[in-house]
This record gives sequence, structure tokens and C-alpha cells, in this order.
Amino acid sequence: MTFNVTEVLEIPIGVGDITVERLLYFVAIITVGVLIARIASINVRRVLAERLPVNERELLAKLVYYGIIIWAFVVALPQLEFDLSGLLVAGGVAGIVIGFASQSVVSNLISGLFLMFEHPIRIGDYINVADVAGSVEDIRVLSTVIKTYDGIYIRIPNEKVFTSNIANYVHNAARRFTYEIRIRHQDDANEAIRIAKEVIETHPFALKNPAPSVFVDNLGDYSVNLTAYIWAPARNWWEVRTDLLWKIKVALEENGIEVPFPQRTVWFADGLEVKGGSGEKNE
Amino acid sequence: MFGRYRGNFRRECGDILVEAESVDGLLTYRRRCERQTFERILVSNTGEVIINPVEPVNLPKDITDFLQIEFSPMMIEPGATRTVYLKFPVEIGVFVESARDIEVLDVFAPSTQKYTLYGSPTNGIIARYYESAVCPEIPPVEPFHEGVMELSIQNICREWVEVSRVVFESTDMKIYYGDFVAATATMKILTKTMAETDFVDAPLRPGMVKSVELYATRKIPAIDRGYLMEWGFS
Repeated sequence: MTFNVTEVLEIPIGVGDITVERLLYFVAIITVGVLIARIASINVRRVLAERLPVNERELLAKLVYYGIIIWAFVVALPQLEFDLSGLLVAGGVAGIVIGFASQSVVSNLISGLFLMFEHPIRIGDYINVADVAGSVEDIRVLSTVIKTYDGIYIRIPNEKVFTSNIANYVHNAARRFTYEIRIRHQDDANEAIRIAKEVIETHPFALKNPAPSVFVDNLGDYSVNLTAYIWAPARNWWEVRTDLLWKIKVALEENGIEVPFPQRTVWFADGLEVKGGSGEKNE
Repeated sequence: MFGRYRGNFRRECGDILVEAESVDGLLTYRRRCERQTFERILVSNTGEVIINPVEPVNLPKDITDFLQIEFSPMMIEPGATRTVYLKFPVEIGVFVESARDIEVLDVFAPSTQKYTLYGSPTNGIIARYYESAVCPEIPPVEPFHEGVMELSIQNICREWVEVSRVVFESTDMKIYYGDFVAATATMKILTKTMAETDFVDAPLRPGMVKSVELYATRKIPAIDRGYLMEWGFS
């Protein structure tokens, strides 16, 4: 039995006049298209690695990737005798049908495109969206990937991201954080404020301007409550916040200013008779 | 301390020690400054170590490209041009260079750093902050701590303006060194709240050597276009 390749290639596959050869051509074009898209997007990432912010770089790489794949698809479709002009005619009707059938997918897609171009969030930003807090790992066509502060991977559909309130903690250049510092009533609050300001001044990322503010906020039951407002670069505020408080406490204690324990002064109408004191024996 | 070194070397200036020595056949770079040490083994046959001042925006870590110098307020009349001298912080960069490539090995400084916000929290920028006196002549500076900046201020707007700070984009910065570290810059006041700043690629004194720039070695392309101060200068 002889095996004739030409005859095999000319075997119809049962859909219109499409033969095995044309089907193979279609697969080959798509495969080559995907390969070219991958190589191109990898090279775009590599070339722009240090020239563009990660967000723009990823967006550009994705545009290149999907652009080439769509191009390959358009080139390959005639192999399946798919008339693109017919697609245009049927596009309106098909659009409505597909629209209804894949409403959520299209909604996610459109939301994803808006997210990419409006930039409420960028890759690497620290955000809180739909009760999920963490850093943005990727903004994909249909979903946004967030890595929580515990390192958990969370995928949120883009529609949900787009329609939710987004808190972007690093969108602005600087942000403020607050300390509440309690000192005893007998301590000198002005001295405590001076010491706290001195400590804040020594930290490189506690910003000079807007200047930090330390003041007596209120008089508590057993403490004078100072409040400190400190501005730091938005991407570094956490390290400043975790670094400074202990330093302030240590500096205050070195100067005899202490954090008070909860206490209550009780007055007895008839005075207080202490029983069971030293040298006295209860029987 | 600044210069090019090959193989073993040792430079000690005050609290700063920079050396490279062979230990058991391995060349080890070592730096000590402000009680902090840094060490790297260098595997190189032909490489050179370059030590020179670099753009002062890298410590304690790289968070911005901008440098803001604040000084005593000056009132400048319309059309006036004046050259003054300011001090700016110095950071020392150590590079390893071979015939084909140059790479940053270490950046350190014997002084402390402070950062500030220029502009509003929404639209402003984080900048390295430094306070300087305004000097009519080249002031004496502490070596390795401070450099001298020649700043030409030109007021081309039609009003008197008060100037007490200048902000630069450090990617444009050209630093030269000799007896001291120096840079030359310009500030063109456009309106009462806007000014253009830029660096001039020229030594302050003849014979000064141009520093290798961090941005050049990091291969980050930057267009030397200066910086537009949009949020005032007083």
C-alpha cells in the first residue's frame, strides 16, 4: 500500500470545500502568529525594561501580542473559506447575539480597557478594591490580579474593579499618617513635643515639607494625649511609620517623659483606713 | 579618593575607607563609612574601579530623581541676572568598568539625608532636600560632604520675584571634581510662580574631571531638557 501525501492533503474535512491542506495552513498561520506575538512581546518587555514604567510596558506588550494574534487570525481565516466581508455584514446581528450571550465577558473586557487607559491603578500600586487590599500584580484584559499583603493571589473581574470604590494608596506622591502619643499629666507637654519633632526630623523620609505637626490633642483621664501628623513618600510611608514610633518613645523616656498606666484617683469621704499593712496581722 | 584604580588599592579619608585587596586569590572590594560596611568579591581580569561623586538622590534608597536646595530668600528685580554659589550634598559612587560595560558597585555618603515634597501631595514630586547659604564667591566646603553649585539666576518676567528654593532633575546633573566637587546650573524665572532649571555641562574651574553619571551607567535614556518648576520657588 502506497501512502500519497498529496492525496491526504486533498481530503475534504467535511465542512464546505475545506481540505486537510487548508486546515493545516490555518493551524500553521495561527501557530506562527502566536510564536511571532510571543517573541515580539518578550522583546518589547526586554527592550523597554528600564525605559518605561512597568504599567505602560505591560500595556504595550499586550497590545503588540494581541495585535499580532488578531492579524494572524485575519490572515488565516480565508483558509477556512471564511468570508470576512460576510462577517462585516453579519457583524451587526452577530454582535447583538454575542453581546447578549457574553454580556459579562464583554463587560469585563470593556472595563479592562478603561482600567488600562484611565489608570486609576497601575501595576505595583498598593490598593484596596472590593474589600481586597494588596499590590496590583497584573491588569489583564478580563481581570485584575492582586497579591494581598499575606501573599495570596486574588483575581477580580475587571467589571467589579471598575465599578467599585478604589483606594489607591500610592497614587499621590506623599501621604500622611498619625501617631497618638500619651504622656503623664505631670510631664512637660512642650518638651515632649520638642523631643518628638527632633526625632521625626532625623528620619530621611519623614518629609520636611509638609512639615510634621505634633500638638496636644486632648486631656485624657490619666494622660495628656499628643497627636503627631507626619508626611512621608507614599511608597515608603509604612517603613517610616514602623520605624519612628519606637524611637520617639525611647527618646521621651530618656528625657524622663513616660507613657502613663491607666489609673483612677478615688476619694473616700471618711478617709481611708489601711488594714493589713506591714507589721499588722489580720486575724 | 576620587579617581580610577586597578587591582589592589586602599584610600582612607577621615571616617571613610575604600579598598580592594586580594584575599586567597579573590579581589574583594570593601567600603566603610558612617559605621556601615559593604563588601563585594570582584571577578575581573581587566576591570577598573572608578570612584567619583554622583547625583545626590540615591540614599538611603533611590526614591526620586529630584533635588531641592533651599536658601535664604532673595528678591530679584525684573530683567536681572545674578550668579551665586550654593552648596549641594555629595554622594560617592563606585563603578566597575571593563572594555565592554560599566556598572554601579556602591553608593555611599558620610552625611545624612532628608527628603521633601515639592508641590501638592496630589501633583507634586518627592525631592532630596538640602539647605544652603547663598554665597557671592565659591565657599569653602567639607570634602566628600558638600559640593559647590554655581547658579545663574535670570529673571525674565516683568515683576520682582522672591526666590528661596531651586529644584533640579538630577538626570541632567553634570558633576565635576578636582579640589572640590562642583556643578554649574541655571535658573530662568519665567513668571512669578514658574521657573526653568537646568545644568550646564562645564567645569567650574579649569582642570576639573567630569564624573561618571549614575544615569548613564544605568542605561536609562534621559532627555536633557531641564526641569520646569511649576509650584513656585519661595
